[in-house]
Amino acid sequence: MIRDSFKVRGMDITLYMCYFVIIAFFIGPLLWVVSLSLKTPSEIFAYPPQLIPNRLAIENYATVWTRSHIPLWIFNSFKIVMFTVIGCLSVSIPAAFAFSRFRFKGKREAMFGILAFQMISPMIILIPLYRYFSALNLLDTHLGLVMIYIAVQTPFTVWLLKGFFDSIPQSLDDAAMVDGCSRIQALFRIILPISVPGIAAAIVFIIVQSWSQFIVPFILLTNLKLLPISVGIFHFQFVQVEISTQLLAAASILAILPVILIFVVLQRFIVQFLIAGAVKG
Amino acid sequence: MWQRIKEVKDGPLFWILPTGAVLIVFYLYPLFDVLRMSFTDAYLFIRPGYSYTLESYSHLLTTPDFFFMLRITFIFVSASVLFQLLLGLFIALVINEGTRRGLSGTVVTRTTVLCAWILPGVVIGIIWRMLLSGSPYGVVNYLIERVGFNKLPFLFSPSFALVSVIIANIWRGTAFTMILQYAGLQKIPPELYEAARVDGASASQLLRYVVIPQLRSMLFINVVLITIYTFNTFDIIIALTGGGPARSTEVIALNVYNTIFKFLDLGTGAAIAVILLFINLVMSLVYYRFFRVETEVEI
Repeated sequence: MIRDSFKVRGMDITLYMCYFVIIAFFIGPLLWVVSLSLKTPSEIFAYPPQLIPNRLAIENYATVWTRSHIPLWIFNSFKIVMFTVIGCLSVSIPAAFAFSRFRFKGKREAMFGILAFQMISPMIILIPLYRYFSALNLLDTHLGLVMIYIAVQTPFTVWLLKGFFDSIPQSLDDAAMVDGCSRIQALFRIILPISVPGIAAAIVFIIVQSWSQFIVPFILLTNLKLLPISVGIFHFQFVQVEISTQLLAAASILAILPVILIFVVLQRFIVQFLIAGAVKG
Repeated sequence: MWQRIKEVKDGPLFWILPTGAVLIVFYLYPLFDVLRMSFTDAYLFIRPGYSYTLESYSHLLTTPDFFFMLRITFIFVSASVLFQLLLGLFIALVINEGTRRGLSGTVVTRTTVLCAWILPGVVIGIIWRMLLSGSPYGVVNYLIERVGFNKLPFLFSPSFALVSVIIANIWRGTAFTMILQYAGLQKIPPELYEAARVDGASASQLLRYVVIPQLRSMLFINVVLITIYTFNTFDIIIALTGGGPARSTEVIALNVYNTIFKFLDLGTGAAIAVILLFINLVMSLVYYRFFRVETEVEI
C-alpha cells in the first residue's frame, strides 16, 4: 500500500521534471531574447553572459519604436490582417455552409481538391502571380497582397467552418425555412449567430497565419513603407550592425507580442479546433 | 427556363462560387502557368520573349548542383520529420498522462510548446541566429563551453549550419505533432489500458503493444502532413542562414526563389517549382487515399 503510493508520487515527480525540461526548451530561447532586449551594448558582450540584466534597459524599446519603421510595419500588418480576415470569411462562409448542407455529386472530391491547395507552397503560385501583378501594376500594393493572403487562407478556413457547421443540426435550418426564411436568411439569422465560437476560432487562425506570412510579401513588395512586420523585421536584421543586437532583440519581441497575446488569451477556445482542423489538413 | 435558373440558385454552385473563383484565379490557373513556363527558356526582366524547350529539365538533370540541393532538402526533411515526431509524441504522452492525473501546469506546458509554433518563421530564424551565435550573447555556445567543450561553428560551417536549421525547425514544428498525437491518445479507449494493466503489462510494454498500434493511423497522417510542410519551408531558413554558407542550407523552396528572383532564370526556376509541386501533390494524394480508407469521416 505504502509502496504503491510512493510509486504514484514518483510518477508525478517524473512528469513534473518532464514539464520543466519541455518548458525550458520551448520558453528558454524566448526568455533569452527578452533578456538581450533589456541589456546595454556592453552587457551584450559581457562574458559570462547573465540572464538577468543589471539594469533593465527599457530605452532599447523606445529607440526601436521611435527611430525605426517597426511601428509602421506593425500597423501595416494589422491593416493587412484585418482585411484578410474580412475577405476570407466572406468567401469561405458560403462555401463551408454549402459543403455542410448540400449533398451533391463530386462533393468529396471538391473538398479534397480544396485541401490539396493548402498543401501547395505559396512559392509556386507566386512565380506567375508576380508576372500578372507586374503587368496589372499590383506589385507594391496592399490590395494585391490581401487578395493572395485571402486565397492562401481560404482552404483551411473552409474546412474549419464546414466542420463547425456540421455540428449544428440541420433541423434548425429546416425549421427556419418552414417559417418562410430562404436558405440565405436561415444562414444569417439562425446559423451564424450560434456559430460564433467556430468563426472566432477561424479568425484566430487567420490572424496567426497571416501575421507570419512571409513569402508573399517578400516577393511582391519592395517599398519599405508598405512592408508587414514579418518582412520588415527581416530587413531590420540587416540594417542593424552587430553592436546593436539588443535592438534586434527588442524589435523581435515587439514583432511577436501581438500574436502571442492573441494566442495565449484565446488558445483555450481554439485547441479543440486545432485538433479537428489539423487532422483534416 | 425559370425552372433551370431556380435550380441553379437553390443548388450549391452559387454558394461555392466565391471560393471557387478565388482558388481558380490564384491557384489553379497559376499552377498550369508554372507548368507551361517550366517548358520555356524565359528570363525575368532580361528579355521579354521566350520559346518552348525541354532545356530547363535537361539542364537540371545534368548539373550536380541540383542533386546537391535535393540531398540537402532530403536531409533537412527527414531529420526534421523524425525528431519532430519523436519529440512531439513524447510530449503528447507526458501531457496526456499529466491530464489523466490532474497535474497542475499541464495547460501551461502545452501552451508554451504551441507558442513556438505560432511565431513567424522569420522571427524564429532571427532568434536562433542570436542563440547559436559565436559572440558572447550566443547562449548555446556558452552552455557548451560550460560543460567543458569547445564552441561549435553553428552558422559558419556547412554541416553545422544544416544542423542549426534542423534544430530551429524542430523547435518550431514539434507542437503540431504534439497536438495530433495528443488527440490520438485521447481516442484510445480506457478499457485497453485497464486490460493491459490487469495482464501485468509494464509501462514500456503498454507503449509498445497498446499505445503505438492504436496511434498507427494518426502517426501516418502526422508523417505525411509534416513532410509536406517541411518540404515547403522557406522563412525560417532565409532568416537563420540565408541558405548558406556555400549553399549548404539551400533547400528546394529557397532554390526556387534564388533561381528566379536572384538569377532571373524563370524557366529553370519554374522547372524546380514543378518538382516541388509534384512532391506536394503526391503527398496530398497519399493523404487522401489513406483518409478515405482509414477514417469513416462522413463528408
